[in-house]
Amino acid sequence: MGELRLMKGNEVIAEAAIRCGCDAYFGYPITPQSEVMETLMAREPWNQTGMVVLQAESEVASINMVYGAAGAGKKVMTSSSSPGISLMAEGISYIAGAELPCVIVNVQRGGPGLGTIQPSQADYFQSTKGGGHGDYRLIVLAPASVQEMHDFVGLAFELAFKYRNPAMILADGAIGQMMEKVELGEFVARQTTEQVDAQYGSWATTGKKKSRAKNVITSLELDSALMEQNNLRFQEKYRKMQQDEVSFEAIRCEDADYVLVAFGSSARICQKSVELARAKGIKVGLLRPITLFPFPSEPIARLAKQVKGFMTVEMNAGQMIEDVRLAVNCAGERNPVHYFGRLGGIIPTPGEVVEALEQKLIGG
Amino acid sequence: MAEFNYTAKDFKSENEVRWCPGCGDYAIMNAVQRTMAEMNIPHEKFAVISGIGCSSRFPYYMSTFGFHSIHGRATAIASGVKTANPDLNVWVITGDGDSLAIGGNHFIHLVRRNIDVNLVLFNNKIYGLTKGQYSPTSDRGVVTKTSPFGTVEDPFIPGQLVLGASGNFFARAVDGNVKHTQEVLKLAAEHEGTSVVEVLQNCVIFNDGIHAEIADPKFRNERQLFLEHGKPMLFGNESEKGLVFENGKLKVVTIGTDGYTLGDILVHDAKTADPTLHLALINMALPEFPVAMGVIRSVDAPVYDQAVRSQIETVQASRKISNVDELLRSGNTWKVDEESSSEPVPFFLKKCPLKDA
Repeated sequence: MGELRLMKGNEVIAEAAIRCGCDAYFGYPITPQSEVMETLMAREPWNQTGMVVLQAESEVASINMVYGAAGAGKKVMTSSSSPGISLMAEGISYIAGAELPCVIVNVQRGGPGLGTIQPSQADYFQSTKGGGHGDYRLIVLAPASVQEMHDFVGLAFELAFKYRNPAMILADGAIGQMMEKVELGEFVARQTTEQVDAQYGSWATTGKKKSRAKNVITSLELDSALMEQNNLRFQEKYRKMQQDEVSFEAIRCEDADYVLVAFGSSARICQKSVELARAKGIKVGLLRPITLFPFPSEPIARLAKQVKGFMTVEMNAGQMIEDVRLAVNCAGERNPVHYFGRLGGIIPTPGEVVEALEQKLIGG
Repeated sequence: MAEFNYTAKDFKSENEVRWCPGCGDYAIMNAVQRTMAEMNIPHEKFAVISGIGCSSRFPYYMSTFGFHSIHGRATAIASGVKTANPDLNVWVITGDGDSLAIGGNHFIHLVRRNIDVNLVLFNNKIYGLTKGQYSPTSDRGVVTKTSPFGTVEDPFIPGQLVLGASGNFFARAVDGNVKHTQEVLKLAAEHEGTSVVEVLQNCVIFNDGIHAEIADPKFRNERQLFLEHGKPMLFGNESEKGLVFENGKLKVVTIGTDGYTLGDILVHDAKTADPTLHLALINMALPEFPVAMGVIRSVDAPVYDQAVRSQIETVQASRKISNVDELLRSGNTWKVDEESSSEPVPFFLKKCPLKDA
């Protein structure tokens, strides 16, 4: 067993980054995730692993520093909260278009605009449908515990490099601020330039020797025919993710008549709701998407043949419900799919969820 | 004057002011409210625009119209407000993080364009709202939550940026000295064009005492030089010290020592367009020099919003086409006669049905 610690979700993002051999972090303070950079700075990873940590002048600067470091073949990340992620949208689109790997952590707060500093899941659309301009997708992981905040940093890097695509950890203020027991991973050495060259020699700007072809990192292609080929390649990549990388957890779904679909903080609440409902004799299960993109459409489609209905529980006005409906309806099923959620930084209670389930699905 | 007989109270809102007890922002707000009360401008003509940060809570505490806007964008939003509605008296309330980090770009372009807004820059050299990370004005080596071993970068000097952007008005004040801040704000408000007032502000929680060496009233006369246009640059408890310009730089001298007389002391010319001496005054720092306070630069120059308006008026007067409707009806236009055509008229040649729906 690895080292056990009691840590905040935000702190563990920092610790996990250092341990998984991350090369660089560029960020800017914003509530409720400022502890990520504060922890990194206090840990002085530059002395231990050589990891660079820099407080940029804005989120726009942060993401472009990430763009630069990613182009150099480095394991690089940033973190922010919703308004800061909006500022990064342009850079994220360019990174996806230039096919570079990086990890972006969004510790969501309520919006739109400046909104609130309380937890929210209102950036589901932004994260899973792209967020910036153009046809691109992010790999989106939704942690529901401090342990997963730790585990998903390494996983996000792995997927980002596998697909040369930005990966996002979509957390929220509750997961970022809560403290839990966490088992820390072993230290993984940072990659050397030789390793980077060997693995990513085709694209990483580690220096142009005479033997090497020139590589200009760009997302621009003025020839429409070639740009279409680029886009088709991206789409093929996203299809491959959909085929190979879907991850979810099904809790007490085997005999369920009704299934709650929820991710992150909402999923934790729903786990309690399942218990409460079962104590009342209602057979409820929980399907928790761990990857929001690629979305677990197929498991939902399978459950649709078994259950009477679904209800998504989201800390937003009903965003993931669209993907659940698509999953159900595209499989030719007609189960009712409902939504329950709270907005503006309010976290639903397990009891509220059961009440909504009874009203919308069972009573209705 | 006093046509409206306003007092500072007329500019206070009913919202409970929620800054930390002892925060320098309270004093600055009092100075702003008193200044506005004396400006003899109808209350409804004021607009107070802020970005993000502790100081940016300002519009909630004012009874005027306002914006609590986007991080770093207050200057751009104020540019829009003033250019679109030049009748308004526009104030930007911002901090070192808001205006000099993410908003650095918009800040210099506001100054460069010389749009007639009054910008009050609360400089506490720290990010207070996010609880204590270093800012672009934090001194090299300062220890904060994001620089636990000291920063390794040099700060911006706000006045240098203003001059670098060809700015025409720059002044400096200290939060606790409300009377002086008010005098400076009044001059800033009267100035046509962008006026930037840097207020050295104390963050009592995350950077307490950062300006104490300058701001403490005990040392005020010795460590601050209060500049006034047309007056000699004197300081010290007995006004016995002053500035001279020798060998291409400023020098502190004592009157009656080394043969220096009052006649040798530089007389402040805030209105000269040449920024050389203004820059030297902005750069003065302890312990070699006192810190320059008051209006360092106040130069008359063309004002953007006035120039835009006058250009529109000139062009309108000299052209046949004076509005968009006339533009659309000019040149190669024709009428599609629906009834005479046997082909159906494509939708894009018809009036948009939205309005009829």
